[in-house]
Amino acid sequence: MSERVATGWLPPPPMRVSVRGVIVALLVAAAIVSAIYLHLGPGTLVPGLAGRHAAGEFFVRALSPAAHYESEVMPGTPPLLVTALRAAGMTVVIAASAMSLSLVIGLLLAFAASNAWWIGEPAGAQTLWIRLLRRSVAPAVYAAARVIMALMRSTHELLWAVLFLAAFGLSHTSAVLAIAIPFGGTLGKVFSEMIDEAPRDAAQALRAAGASPLQVFFFGLFPRAFPDLCAYAFYRFECSLRASAVLGFFGFPTLGYYIAASFENLHYGEVWTYLYTLIALVLVVDVWSGGLRRRLMA
Amino acid sequence: MNAGARFVLEDVRVAYGSCIALDGIDLEIESGEAVALVGPSGAGKTTLLGLLNGTVRPDRGTVAVDEYNLGELSAAALRRVRADIGFIHQDLALVPNVRVLQNVLHGRLGRMSIFDAVRAATFPPRRAVAEVYEILDRVGIGEKLYEPVRRLSGGQRQRVAIARALYQRPCALLADEPVSSVDPARARDSVALLVEICRERQLTLCMSLHNLDLAREFFPRLIGIRAGRIVFDRSSALHDRDFDALYDLCAEEEVS
Repeated sequence: MSERVATGWLPPPPMRVSVRGVIVALLVAAAIVSAIYLHLGPGTLVPGLAGRHAAGEFFVRALSPAAHYESEVMPGTPPLLVTALRAAGMTVVIAASAMSLSLVIGLLLAFAASNAWWIGEPAGAQTLWIRLLRRSVAPAVYAAARVIMALMRSTHELLWAVLFLAAFGLSHTSAVLAIAIPFGGTLGKVFSEMIDEAPRDAAQALRAAGASPLQVFFFGLFPRAFPDLCAYAFYRFECSLRASAVLGFFGFPTLGYYIAASFENLHYGEVWTYLYTLIALVLVVDVWSGGLRRRLMA
Repeated sequence: MNAGARFVLEDVRVAYGSCIALDGIDLEIESGEAVALVGPSGAGKTTLLGLLNGTVRPDRGTVAVDEYNLGELSAAALRRVRADIGFIHQDLALVPNVRVLQNVLHGRLGRMSIFDAVRAATFPPRRAVAEVYEILDRVGIGEKLYEPVRRLSGGQRQRVAIARALYQRPCALLADEPVSSVDPARARDSVALLVEICRERQLTLCMSLHNLDLAREFFPRLIGIRAGRIVFDRSSALHDRDFDALYDLCAEEEVS
């Protein structure tokens, strides 16, 4: 259909290999080399005979989770389902406390580590104080907050748990702090980036109406980013439920404690009961956050 | 400042790096006057409006609003002057997931302490709500007081932006292409409303417009800008030739 285009002189295509292209090629090469080094491949997915037996036994029980303990228990032990519910409750309580604390930490850090509220502040004939704030104080706080967040995030919650177990023993405080610190760092980083990336039109308008940098942050930038912040906070709450459950492996009375104990006794039915409880918790949070997001956006 | 701010620009030049946005601008806008800025895209209209409220600083020359020379003001004093000047942005610049009421209340942030601002955002005083309602009613969307802005149509959002600027209790209104995002009928209504309100309240009005017909219909004074310079500054009652020239200039701009 299309008419033939006269093929006269064309501008020569740029020959330079882009830096980005080289980096992508290097990353792909690194992935391949790592896989070879680790002997990854479909062959390693075939388990040995004993392994196949154990795995089969475990996954078959997924269809029939236990409703009662699979062996004799001490008299006075609450029934399995009650234990599961209690463990679930404990998991939620620790996750929720950790999340509340990490939200406070995260929001404070997000304020310090976002720059949209001071960087666009137009200059008046500036006083020394304002110049100092814009040129040194605000950038210094910004940099410090970024470093603090990196330190908080770079250690996994399980490693924090090891540290706090040594410091405070097996207390609830240890569990809550172990989750709240890395989560606070992550929330701070992601929140600050969401705030900085939100559209700045409203902030600009408030500035034009004479609003101060603080007012610009709280009324122009923060509400603009709020639905995203909410969605992300919910996602992190889901993560904190999982983290709280896994902390049970250290002996905190959350779902992980019972999962580990049943697993060691080869009571796979019980393991599945606890796993389904955890899945149910995550699903409830997911449905709740989905509903909230719809309400915020509609 | 008194209602009807007066703007004086003397030999103003603004450059963004090597690109000269405005040059050799001498301009007086009298108290209570209604002025339309016309000209092709990229001519420097937005920059000129930014100069008037001090968000753009001239590289040369002076900008004065009433008795204040904007270049000599401290950041705080400049903020106070800005609080007296309403600005309606091309993209309206509202906060979509917040109610109309709060968006309008934002207009007066420049005069509020952070505590008053928090109060306005959470439990606004009855008097403030009544005042917002009165303004919304004046611009024709009183019933949308508690509606989140994201649920409003383009035309209604425009009214919210106007209401926010009015709630500022400004001495002057600046508007940057305020009707570029709505259909012609709504655009005409909005421009008419703004001109009428400014006349009622004796506010100085300076609006940039792409639509020459609207500019000629509603504004007694038109300023044509092209490539950073004022090419004419006339009463709109004058001969068509000026406007033909601007159209020609626009055409020329598109070719180059």
